[in-house]
Amino acid sequence: MFSFLFRRLLVLIPTYIGITLAAFAFIHVIPGDPILVMAGERGLPPEKYAELMHAFGYDQPLWKQYLDYVGQLLQGNFGTSFVTGRPVLDEFFELFPATVELAFFALFFALLIGIPAGIIAAVKRGTFFDHSLMTISLTGFSMPLFWWALLLIVFFSGYLGWTPVSGRISAMFFFDTPTGFMLIDSLLSDEEGAFKSAVMHLILPAVALGTIPMATFARQSRSAMLETLNEDFIKTARAKGLSPFRVTIVHAFRNALIPIVTVIGLSVGVLLGGAILTETIFSWPGIGKWMVDSIFRRDYPVVQGGLILIATIVIMVNLTVDVLYGIIDPRIRKQGH
Amino acid sequence: MNVETSTNQSQQSAFMAVMASFWFEFKQNKGALYGLVFISILAFIAIFADFISPYDPIEQYRDALKLPPVWAEGGTWTHIFGTDALGRDQLSRMIYGSRYSFYIGFIVIFFCLTIGIVLGLIAAFNRGFIENMIMRLMDIILAFPSLLMALALVAILGPSLENAMIAIAVVFIPHFVRLTRAQALSELGKDYVSSSKTMGASTFRLMFINVLPNCMPPLIVQATMSFSSAILDAAALGFLGMGAQPPSPEWGTMLADSRQYILSDPWMMGVPGLAILFTVLSINLIGDGLRDALDPKMKTAKS
Repeated sequence: MFSFLFRRLLVLIPTYIGITLAAFAFIHVIPGDPILVMAGERGLPPEKYAELMHAFGYDQPLWKQYLDYVGQLLQGNFGTSFVTGRPVLDEFFELFPATVELAFFALFFALLIGIPAGIIAAVKRGTFFDHSLMTISLTGFSMPLFWWALLLIVFFSGYLGWTPVSGRISAMFFFDTPTGFMLIDSLLSDEEGAFKSAVMHLILPAVALGTIPMATFARQSRSAMLETLNEDFIKTARAKGLSPFRVTIVHAFRNALIPIVTVIGLSVGVLLGGAILTETIFSWPGIGKWMVDSIFRRDYPVVQGGLILIATIVIMVNLTVDVLYGIIDPRIRKQGH
Repeated sequence: MNVETSTNQSQQSAFMAVMASFWFEFKQNKGALYGLVFISILAFIAIFADFISPYDPIEQYRDALKLPPVWAEGGTWTHIFGTDALGRDQLSRMIYGSRYSFYIGFIVIFFCLTIGIVLGLIAAFNRGFIENMIMRLMDIILAFPSLLMALALVAILGPSLENAMIAIAVVFIPHFVRLTRAQALSELGKDYVSSSKTMGASTFRLMFINVLPNCMPPLIVQATMSFSSAILDAAALGFLGMGAQPPSPEWGTMLADSRQYILSDPWMMGVPGLAILFTVLSINLIGDGLRDALDPKMKTAKS
């Protein structure tokens, strides 16, 4: 198990070199001089320009700039935002819990509905339930996420007036946010109604973000279940007289887990990508909106640092999924790759 | 001479037989047929947009701003789908917008297929260093969420529909490279490849004449699915202001325009959103049908 993990970690080194190169290249291929962008509309006198070029190291040869950049990264310095003047890493950790909270509940919603629906569809294959579920999930799969989010807002916020349109909590509440997770912080605070407000703010974006993964989970768990339900060991289990529930859940579902775990792992990238749109539409102050805003504001250090940090999350999740395979299916672990 | 013609003929009839069995399999899938019908109608609309469209898509009718569609209160038959905030006829914009969907889809999968196949075959035929370089590069692209990567690329290239398509193609290419390589590797061990090699076939011939045709079925399915993803992603980029630029009547851009009126005039976002949904759904249904018809082994466990 450890040698398996070690080898997987070793492969990450060239990947990381590539990722840092890509992020580094970003600032140099983008049109517009970063110093001039920082200076804004008024421009700069030439001597001040040269001074800043030197201060940021932009007058050095490229390879040296890259090595310096990686050296800084290794020390945990991801640069400073042009706009706020704060370290990129600080901003990231401040906003990251918001995205985690949103993505977690989106994933929770998707798993809670998608997987049972897929299992039931597989067991009741060919029935009306099966056909309608597959139609609905294919529709969910084909839906433009931002349009779906707008539809939810029109119906639940506009027409019914149940949920707020944007943000994480109503502006009337003021309390400390020690964990950064609004649901926990609002519970810890003494403010009455704060928790309810946080929940109401979370529901719509989480449902919007979770819909596409939900459709994927339903389809994937249905086809994985159909495959295992045809296996001989299922017939054996049935022949032994085990209850249908036990056969379905313990015998079939456990063996259908591998493709399902794969899709869950892949969906984290989908969730982070979807968070870009969802957070923008719902003004959710997470890293997705942060990246979009920074791209529009040409805040290069944030874009650079954010790209590396987000890629790190995706890589870590993929690694976890690989390790999970080994836990679910010992055969993979023994093969050792 | 005679021999050649007869081989040609037998090849042709074999091809016809393959197509016939393919069509037989494909039409078993009702969803795929519906999808094909919808896309055919849309293609017709896109081709003959100049004749079908009642108005110019970017002409602003200042006396008819934010007119609701005909089925809503206050709608008129002069503007069936109503008009947008600048008084442009929604129906005409929708009709011309269909062209963008095909344009985006075809250009993106053209780049994905050509570059993806070439890189994938090179990786499969050059095990070791070159393969590792190519596959690591693909890993790097895949390490970024695709929409974020596309956004960053468009930021570099400058916001326009063409640059959005390039960015989307770059983000999709790794899937094609991986698929081509995996398919090619499984083909390389087969007897027909070894015998072709023994007969002295060049690497180029082995790659493109011998191996590639046998890699095509999953690539065609992937290309179909990427066609619809490209439409979705281009619409998302357009929605964020990083895709097609105004006044082009691209459906995602139309949604972006309607965004500020979603609470006052929600119908404005209905038609473009539904159009994207049905187009993408149809293409996905066709993709499912193709998968079942092209390769029974890949059949998604269908009832």
